[in-house]
Amino acid sequence: MATIARPDAKDPIYDGTRIPSPIPTVLEVDPAVKDTDDILTVNFGPNHPSTHGVLRLIVDLDGEVVVGVHAKVGYVHTGFEKNMEQKSWWKGITYAPRIDYLAYQNNELVFVLAIEKLLGLEIPPKASWMRMLLSELNRIHSHLVWLGTAALELGAISMFWYTFREREMILDLSELVAGYRMHTRYFQTGGLAEDVPPGFYPECRKFVEWMPKAIADYDGLLEKNEIWENRTRGLGLLSRSDAIALGQTGPVLRASGVDWDLRRDDPYLYYDRVHFHVPVLPHGDTYDRYRVRIEEMRASVEIVEQCLDRLERLEGEPWIADDRKVVLPPREELHTSMESLIHHFKIVTEGYRVPEGEVYVAVESPRGELGCYVVSDGGARPWRVKFRAPSFAALEATATTVQGAYIADLIAIVGSLDTVMGEVDR
Amino acid sequence: MAVERPKSHRLADHGLQSERLLWPGKGPSEFEQELGDIESQLGLTTLEKAIAWSQTKSMWPDTFGLACCAIEMMSIVSSRYDIARFGMEAFRSSPRQADLLIISGRVAQKMAAPIAQIYDQMLEPKWVIAMGACASSGGMFNNYAVLQSVDKIIPVDIYVPGCPPRPEGLMEGIIRLHERVQAGVPAAYEVGGVAK
Amino acid sequence: MAFAETPGLLSTTEAFSETTLVVDPARLVEACAFLRDEHRFEMLVDIAATDYLGWGSPGVSGYIGTAAGRNLNRPMTQGLQALPAPKPKRFSLNYHLLAIQPGARRVRVQVWLDDGEPVPSVVSVWPGADWFEREAWDMMGIPVEGHPHPERLIMDEDWEGHPLRKDYPLGGEPVRFSGEE
Repeated sequence: MATIARPDAKDPIYDGTRIPSPIPTVLEVDPAVKDTDDILTVNFGPNHPSTHGVLRLIVDLDGEVVVGVHAKVGYVHTGFEKNMEQKSWWKGITYAPRIDYLAYQNNELVFVLAIEKLLGLEIPPKASWMRMLLSELNRIHSHLVWLGTAALELGAISMFWYTFREREMILDLSELVAGYRMHTRYFQTGGLAEDVPPGFYPECRKFVEWMPKAIADYDGLLEKNEIWENRTRGLGLLSRSDAIALGQTGPVLRASGVDWDLRRDDPYLYYDRVHFHVPVLPHGDTYDRYRVRIEEMRASVEIVEQCLDRLERLEGEPWIADDRKVVLPPREELHTSMESLIHHFKIVTEGYRVPEGEVYVAVESPRGELGCYVVSDGGARPWRVKFRAPSFAALEATATTVQGAYIADLIAIVGSLDTVMGEVDR
Repeated sequence: MAVERPKSHRLADHGLQSERLLWPGKGPSEFEQELGDIESQLGLTTLEKAIAWSQTKSMWPDTFGLACCAIEMMSIVSSRYDIARFGMEAFRSSPRQADLLIISGRVAQKMAAPIAQIYDQMLEPKWVIAMGACASSGGMFNNYAVLQSVDKIIPVDIYVPGCPPRPEGLMEGIIRLHERVQAGVPAAYEVGGVAK
Repeated sequence: MAFAETPGLLSTTEAFSETTLVVDPARLVEACAFLRDEHRFEMLVDIAATDYLGWGSPGVSGYIGTAAGRNLNRPMTQGLQALPAPKPKRFSLNYHLLAIQPGARRVRVQVWLDDGEPVPSVVSVWPGADWFEREAWDMMGIPVEGHPHPERLIMDEDWEGHPLRKDYPLGGEPVRFSGEE
């Protein structure tokens, strides 16, 4: 289980703290050196192929060594939270996946779980198993895109085509289930928007059988590749205590030696009923973050397989809760039941009302702890929705991890933090 | 100087290949008819046609991914949708080397100035595709933070709807752009300015 | 839970299996340090600011149901309209803490603030609070005292106003429909 190194214990990665002071998120050049001609200030972004979205870094270089870094964000600020306050609860579910657009299913999941927590709804088992399956497929999808782009930035260009080949398989599965590749809006308050279509389970099995071979392909290309190891080992060090102090979660935290995974330690859905391994590595460098994500892909395939086993036995079960105040009644009933017609009308026009309260729900997204803080005033629209984005915290670690790195390493390190700017800026 | 104008206004008869050929009995679409009308009025010389043809055969895009649409833009480079068959897999990081700016994703107010700067840095001839609902019109984000369509700051040639558009949808937009260029339609900065 | 010795604790609430500690803003840093050291809440997960201007306006908010809750067997029940409980001040700032220990204990530390009332910075307790506090200032206009770099994070540096406040308009453009002139 998780153990935290006490301050006096020796941290295997580095001693003490490397968090810059006084501003933890800005690495500043020593003032004595700053105004000399030796320091070159370079603006990185917001349009740059290697910043995983529109991140702007103002980098001070002494030769090729990074001596100062200052991250500026906000270039894709969309005003999600304000928009969601104006829309009814179930229209807000459409906004959620576009926040972290690589892990879109996890965003939908966390928002829907928060609404259901406030409502106190019982979700049928089939819906929870399917939600788990899709979330894990989404985790694989996110890690594939990350791997393809991170390798592309470091020069291992062919990885991009390998990973996107599997990504297309996952998107095919998404399309089979929900009709759309990305931002599927398949999760509904109370369960799933529609039943699982026939033919999905065999297709998913095929994917589950294929994926381990694909991951073996990626390993074959990168794991023992000398250039890859030279470019990633020992770089971007983040110790356990620094990672926790900076609020890191997910693969960044697990690569720094902290054994913490919300799926196992704070389970939601049915993660406590499946077996999966949680990779934890001790070195806290870029290579370990890469390895953690590769192993997580393997673990996700295990989980998907176990979900399929359960789902295949749940044919014919309900996929959404039966609470007519929240869930639309089946269309056949509208012809015969007056109450159903009224419910349908009220839910579609005004929206269902969620009891007053505030909740915070967290799931383990591919980037870490994705949290949703929802305040309801009892009405048909949320009062406040705030998403806790794991990439927001990950970017705060930029200044700590790039100390002493070369400019080429800066790309590798920022890439290994796996940030998605959509969720940083919301 | 009298130029020999062929009778047919079907792009296929001019040697241009488009997906609509897959539906043989369909007949020219509105787009093709318009292009045919424009073509007959513009009177491109053979040299201009050759230049237009070569411009479309290696129109390199700029790596300008903003949000979700960027992921679908990346997937057109992947092997299933393979934009390399159009000579466009070479996404240039420097706008000075790029011909095509695909605005993929929502444009925040803060990002408007960098976009205008990048557009200005591109050398002519240059084209812009507004990919997705957010770049075309602001999408589902009608609020203080998102620029309601990127054509408020730069002139746009093709709008591709979708949220995000399928890779095939973006390819359709790119192919229509190619057909426009080969028909002789001037790029958007020559025709009009930006929407206001 | 034994949070009774938290410095500056004003009240404790348990709802939806979550614990909320309302703390006096003047003693916030002490309370946070206490929770981090004594109760092992090593990680600050989130700082969320909420604006309660206009909370409880009748007709808009309020939960419709019977006194016993929503009764599935009586779908026509239009019982009480329960207006939400009034809030003490305009803004609440919520610090979500997590203990990385078996059991995954979570707690929410809540402070209530008026418009313009500053809150002390907890960057000395958790360095990761840096950007969250900047965002609270940027989007909600909650001034943070003692923050090492209190600049706007997400909006432009010269932006006026704090967008997530309830009196800040949503903005955008009116949608024109083709066919109408």
